[in-house]
Amino acid sequence: MSELKGIPIATAEAPLATGNALPIVHEIETLLNELVVSGKAASIDLRSLPMLPGDYEQLQQWLGEGEVSATIEAFGPTRVRETAVSGVWWVTHYNAEDQVVAEFIEVTYVPEILKTHPADARQAVETLRSRLSQSAETTEGDANAG
Amino acid sequence: MPDNTTLGEKLAQQGISRRSFLKFCATMASLMAMPPTMAAEMAEKLAKVRRQSVIWLSFQECTGCTESITRSHSPTIESLMFNAISLDYHHTLQAAAGTAAEAAREQAMKENEGKYLVVVDGSIPMKDGGIYSTIAGVSNHDMLVETAKGAAAIISVGTCASYGGIPKANPNPTGAVPVSAIIKDKPIINVPGCPPIGPVMTGVIAHFLTLGTIPDLDEFGRPKVFFGDTIHDRCYRRPFYDQGKFAKSFDDEGARNGWCLFEVGCKGPTTHNACATVKWNGGVSFPIESGHGCLGCSEPDFWDKGSFYKPLSTGEWGGGAVLGAAVAAGAVIGVGAALAARKRQDKTSGGK
Repeated sequence: MSELKGIPIATAEAPLATGNALPIVHEIETLLNELVVSGKAASIDLRSLPMLPGDYEQLQQWLGEGEVSATIEAFGPTRVRETAVSGVWWVTHYNAEDQVVAEFIEVTYVPEILKTHPADARQAVETLRSRLSQSAETTEGDANAG
Repeated sequence: MPDNTTLGEKLAQQGISRRSFLKFCATMASLMAMPPTMAAEMAEKLAKVRRQSVIWLSFQECTGCTESITRSHSPTIESLMFNAISLDYHHTLQAAAGTAAEAAREQAMKENEGKYLVVVDGSIPMKDGGIYSTIAGVSNHDMLVETAKGAAAIISVGTCASYGGIPKANPNPTGAVPVSAIIKDKPIINVPGCPPIGPVMTGVIAHFLTLGTIPDLDEFGRPKVFFGDTIHDRCYRRPFYDQGKFAKSFDDEGARNGWCLFEVGCKGPTTHNACATVKWNGGVSFPIESGHGCLGCSEPDFWDKGSFYKPLSTGEWGGGAVLGAAVAAGAVIGVGAALAARKRQDKTSGGK
């Protein structure tokens, strides 16, 4: 019976590409034009297409790196990067174990997930008000006590 | 006690941010092949949902479906679904036992009449008055009929509840039948698999919660979004199948090179499930990727279709008509290889 070390290891060659990168760039061009003309934002779900490592590399080469990079901590990190193409953002969602759970190219002025939700801001006003009034009471109390 | 807080309020109470929620919805939408722009809409709707009452009935089952749904690749993303629902009855997960548990079920049914979701795992025995599986002295059949009366919809998880599964396999000593053989007047979604993939189960529940409708179903009552393609259609080893490169036995050169497992019994061509795309354990792998052929576990009566290790074309899986559609391109290669493989299998395993 041959030993474990007797089993030869054959390494694979460089990762292939399906050629899907260029069609995506064409789709981005259409969506970006739509954004400029009508203000309509759009998203491309990269997990919905067959994409091999070579495709991701080609897409990254086409889009480049922009000025903005943001990390959102929500059930694991979400990395938002502006690409060198203005209005095109690359959003990668990771879970708590740093595995990719979703990946989108967003064609928009700013990705939804970066924005503050109006309801959260409304709630925050109330909370801040009550913190300020509590702090004011304490100061008055100190002044009176002093 | 009915819980009137919305899911959004509940999450806020637990310090789960709106962004976490949006991220969850984006992931779910991607998983269910919905357009990504639906994620925001889904998040808005789901946040306003009052927690859906869910009653989980476990009949002749192995608890594998519960094991699958409670495993998640992230400790938080799928558990979010458990925040979205009020799981009012579940043998393994509930704290109550005995009469208290049955009382909880009856109370949930009364308070949410017409609106609760019933999830069933396990088949229902019908022989000898259904005495082979009872809960609190009530036969599975009677409990199913009684609980289904006020349900909005029923989800049959696992091949047992969907089609009868392993209890129904020859000689079917308990007279096991699927849910759809008993309930005829409620919408039933079959989510088969032995077990089904965790995110597939939560995806179906999420669809029902956010859109309030049943997803499009195929002729076996399975959601097309997850069961529309066969494993063969999406298998990453397909190029090897197309080139006629097959593993002849486990751990031979072909197997170690990751070649197609058709000849060692893979049922991928005739099996509809999401294993090749969604995969298992958070997208880590699936049987073929780990070197073992597909068992066909999301198809009806898969236990009774002959060996898991004899190729499909040896005829036990429905014969020419079924196979013609699935393996037309590789038929010549397949049949020749299969005959050789059958001879090999019979020799090594004494014909079993």
